[in-house]
Formats: sequence, structure tokens, C-alpha cells
Amino acid sequence: MFLAFKELKYSKTKFALIIAVVILISYLVYFLTSLANGLASSYTNAIEQWDSNQIVLTLDANDNMMMSYMGQDAYDGTEIKGSKAKLGLFPAVINNPLAENILDSRVDAYFFGIDNDSFIKPSEFSELTLTGNKVIVDEEIKKEGYKIGDFFGVTGSTQQYEIIGFSSKTTYQTAPVIFMSLEAWQTYRYGSTNTPDLFSGIIVRGEINNLPSSLISYTTEDYISTLPGYTAQVLTFSIMIIFLILITAFVLGIFIYVLTIQKTSMFGVMKAQGISNGYIGASVIIQTFLLVAFGIFVGLALTSLTGMFLSDVIPFAVNIMFYSIITTAFFLFAFFGGLFSVNAVLKIDPLKAIGG
Amino acid sequence: MKPLIEMIGVTKDFLQGDNVIRALKETNFIAYESELIGIVGPSGSGKSTFLTILGGLQKPTTGRVLLNGKPFSELDIKEKSKIRLESIGFILQASNLIPFLTIKEQMVLYNKITKSKVNQTWMNDLFQKLDVEKLKDKYPNELSGGERQRSAIAKALYHQPSVIFADEPTASLDTNRAYEVVKLLAKETKEQKKATIMVTHDERMLEFCDKVYVIVDGVLSERTSVEPNNQTKTMNRENVSAVRS
Repeated sequence: MFLAFKELKYSKTKFALIIAVVILISYLVYFLTSLANGLASSYTNAIEQWDSNQIVLTLDANDNMMMSYMGQDAYDGTEIKGSKAKLGLFPAVINNPLAENILDSRVDAYFFGIDNDSFIKPSEFSELTLTGNKVIVDEEIKKEGYKIGDFFGVTGSTQQYEIIGFSSKTTYQTAPVIFMSLEAWQTYRYGSTNTPDLFSGIIVRGEINNLPSSLISYTTEDYISTLPGYTAQVLTFSIMIIFLILITAFVLGIFIYVLTIQKTSMFGVMKAQGISNGYIGASVIIQTFLLVAFGIFVGLALTSLTGMFLSDVIPFAVNIMFYSIITTAFFLFAFFGGLFSVNAVLKIDPLKAIGG
Repeated sequence: MKPLIEMIGVTKDFLQGDNVIRALKETNFIAYESELIGIVGPSGSGKSTFLTILGGLQKPTTGRVLLNGKPFSELDIKEKSKIRLESIGFILQASNLIPFLTIKEQMVLYNKITKSKVNQTWMNDLFQKLDVEKLKDKYPNELSGGERQRSAIAKALYHQPSVIFADEPTASLDTNRAYEVVKLLAKETKEQKKATIMVTHDERMLEFCDKVYVIVDGVLSERTSVEPNNQTKTMNRENVSAVRS
């Protein structure tokens, strides 16, 4: 500890540069993680809120809930242990009829048609009733200037909807969700008030005992991975992050190794004097840890600072678990990088320190 | 007088290709307390081999080394390392100072490694004796060659070893500085009852030695009298008295 600290103190510039590299890389990694996590959760926030185990669609919908239609008989035929809820799902483009330029006020959204007592309804609004065209919308819509009591229109329909509440963390495939009664949803979906009693799927909390043959069930995780682009995006980000951590370990390992090689003769003298390999090796490892710790700390601080300023603009989500895993990985790989140098220390021959 | 380090029947063989080279012929050597012993010899004569075997950095092919009357050369690497740390002080050519520690921290390092208490009184004594008190918060590269070697002596003495190895301690110094350093080394050897073994190329430094050994082709022999070498030598002897007075 003593040696490691004193050297950091003495060669400030050298180590500051190394720390700067660690800061930049760790900043990039944490930032990317937050971004990937933010993007992934904006795909799945609404689904996570269901807290469901299984999702039932029709077999011929080919994983696509928007192409799945079923009626009351399918709902009744789905025997479960637990609770189930009907869900009508369809994309919509909403607009503000009061806007100067209606085209500028368009927003992509998803209409969720649900029963008023369904567990899909955001729990904080249990006292509000979804009837007629009264809807609860995701708070993303707030950014467009809507308030409670405001109305919005929808492309391809003359219906207008009244906002009675703003829910949080209810986005689906990055677009805000609009909760409405199944009847209002069917009216929108089929463009008529005289609509068939159809919906898209059944959300199940619990186990499915029996399923009509025309239906298929997915675990919630499996369903999420069928969302267009979700798996590809998560995979891309994960690979980038893993590689960045590996690169950091390599860069750090190489830096420490070069520094160690530079000090070969000094270590030789120290070994001749009877200072053990263990002490010198430990000092190399401690130094590596100190560099990583400094770098990561600043990297994390920068990330949270960025998050504070940018979270409105970009999907930025902090996930302590991911951060801990990445931090552990940083330390672990840096340790392996440092081991190269320890190996080099072991090989230094104290004989060379004396005479020539 | 107490023998501090002894070599009994030591030889050292090296393999060079298929040939066995005997770098050190059978050697017996004793250094008693309060003795400053000079070792001279041309390069490649076996000086380094002699010193490294004495210091436990390599094993003799035959024979043994005793340190403070106890077996030393037979111990394993770890134990030898530990004993070197406690019982041997090193003063090396390029100085044994660590570049990123101040002079004071060089001493404290020993306490950190052995998890012992800093001996402040003894450190101050040493600094005073070696006249490095004003340098104690400086880094080695801020010191002159002489100051560096004086600090190196302080470091070698700080942990109170019984034996001191000095390998070309004056190599980078001018004559006056060199005399000063060797004189200090001789004085401390006497005062603290150490055995100091100094390898040197510099015949002038042998003035201060109690015994002088010569190694030629792996054979160690004591030089019984200081043979009158040449004019330079006589001139230097006058210098010595000038420095001494």
C-alpha cells in the first residue's frame, strides 16, 4: 500500500494520464449501459408493469399481438390458476385538435384496450373509471403540452379522447401507451360503434392449465424477445459493453506492464535487499486497483451528471445491478491485467542488481 | 572478535554449453565485526559470484555460508530473502534508493514491510551522523551523487543489519566525494560493529580497509601488504591524509 501510494503521488502526471483513459472508457461503458437499459425499458416498461407470467395470442398471429384477434370464448377457454386480463393492442397516431398546425402535433402511441377492473390498469388510478372516451395516458404525452382534461384526436378517426390521468413508466416499443376501455378501443380498432367483441390477447398472472388449440402462450420474457428489434438491440449493446470492458482491461494491463518493465532494475535491487515478491506483487496489484477505482469513480460521477441533464432528451435509465456487474467486471479484468505484471516481477532476477 | 559472515569451502560452477566452468574455486572467507573488507579484481574474475553467494542470491555448488554463525546458504529462497531484509544492508553502485520515495520514506519502507515501528531516534541519529538531515524530505533525483550515496548508507544502516555489502559504492563519485563516502562507511563499520564488505575497482579506496582481498580467475586471496603500485597511488595517499585531517 505504502509503495503503491507513494509512487502514485510521485508520478502524478503519468498516472493522471492512465486514469484519464480509464475515466473515458468507464464513462463510455456506463453511459452506453444506461442508454441501452433506457432504450430496452422504453420497449418493455408497459409489459413490466403487468407483472405477468404468460401472454396468450392466437397461433396464426405469428408472435405479433397487433395481428391477433380473439373473443370471449377464447378468454373463457383459457383455464388458469391465478388471474387473467383481456388486452386490446393497436398502434395509433394522436394529434392535438387545438394546435396551430395539427400535423406538427402528431405523436405515435399504442392504444391499450382493457377492462376497467383489469390488473393492467395502472394501480395508482384504481379510483378512476375508464368509460367512454376517457383515457389514462403515459406521462411522455405531457411533453407535448397536454394536461388533465385536455382532448386529443386520432388519425383515421373522428373520435376525440379526454385525458383523465398520467401514468408513469408505461411505454411500449418506445411509444407512450394510452389506456382506454375495451369498448372505446374496439370502436377505434374497427372504425365503427357496432363492433365485434374482439381483443388481441390475454395477459396471465399465474399458470395456464388449459388452452384452446387456436391459441398459443408465451412466457413474458419470450414475448419481450419477439418485439421487433428488441433482441438485436440488446445484443448489440451487450457486445459493445463487454468488448469495452475487455479493452479497458487490456489497455490497463499493458500500461501497468510497461510501467513494471521500466522498473525492472529497481525491483531487482529491492529483491536483492530481501523485499519479497509478495510485497512487490501486491503493490503492483494495489496500484492497478487504485487506478481502476479512481477512473471508475469519476466515470460514474460523469455518467450520473450526464443523466441528470440528458434524461429528458434520451432514454437514459440507471440500473444499479448493471452498474455493479460492470464495476465488478472492470475490477476483475483489471486484476487479470495486473497479474501479467506480477508474473514479470516474479521473473526479475535480483542477481542482476549486484555487480555486472 | 565475533565472525559475522563466513564462507566455508564454497565453489561455484556454471554450465556453458556442455562445459562446466568453475567461476569460483574453493573459497574460505571470514568477516569479523568492525571490519571493513575490500574486494578487488578485474571484471569477470568472480567478484560478483563471490558477493552474490555471500548475499544468498545464488546457491554455492559446494560448501556453505554462515551468517551470524547460523546456516544461510542452505535455506530456501523465501527464508533467505527474509534474512537479507533483516541482517544485510546493501549499498549499490547506482544507489539502492527507490526513486519515488523521499530519503525519510526509504527508511520507513523497511518498517512498513516488516510491520514494525519507525525508530525515530535512531533515524535522526543516522541522519545527523551522515549529514543528510536537511535532505530527508527530498527525492533521490534531487540529490548530488555524494548525497545520494550518504543517504544509501543511512538506509543500509537503518535496520541495523550485521553485515553490509557495498558494491562499487564510489563508482559515480569524484575523488573527494568518494573518500568522504568510504570514510563514513569505515567509521560506521567501527562504531556499530558491523562487517562491511566493499567491492571496488578503485584502488585508492582500499586505504580505509582493514583487509583487502583480491579475486583473480575465481581464486580469492588476501593481499597482505599494500604494494607500492605507482606514482598516482602515492599522490592519492597524500590526498587521503588531507581529507582525514
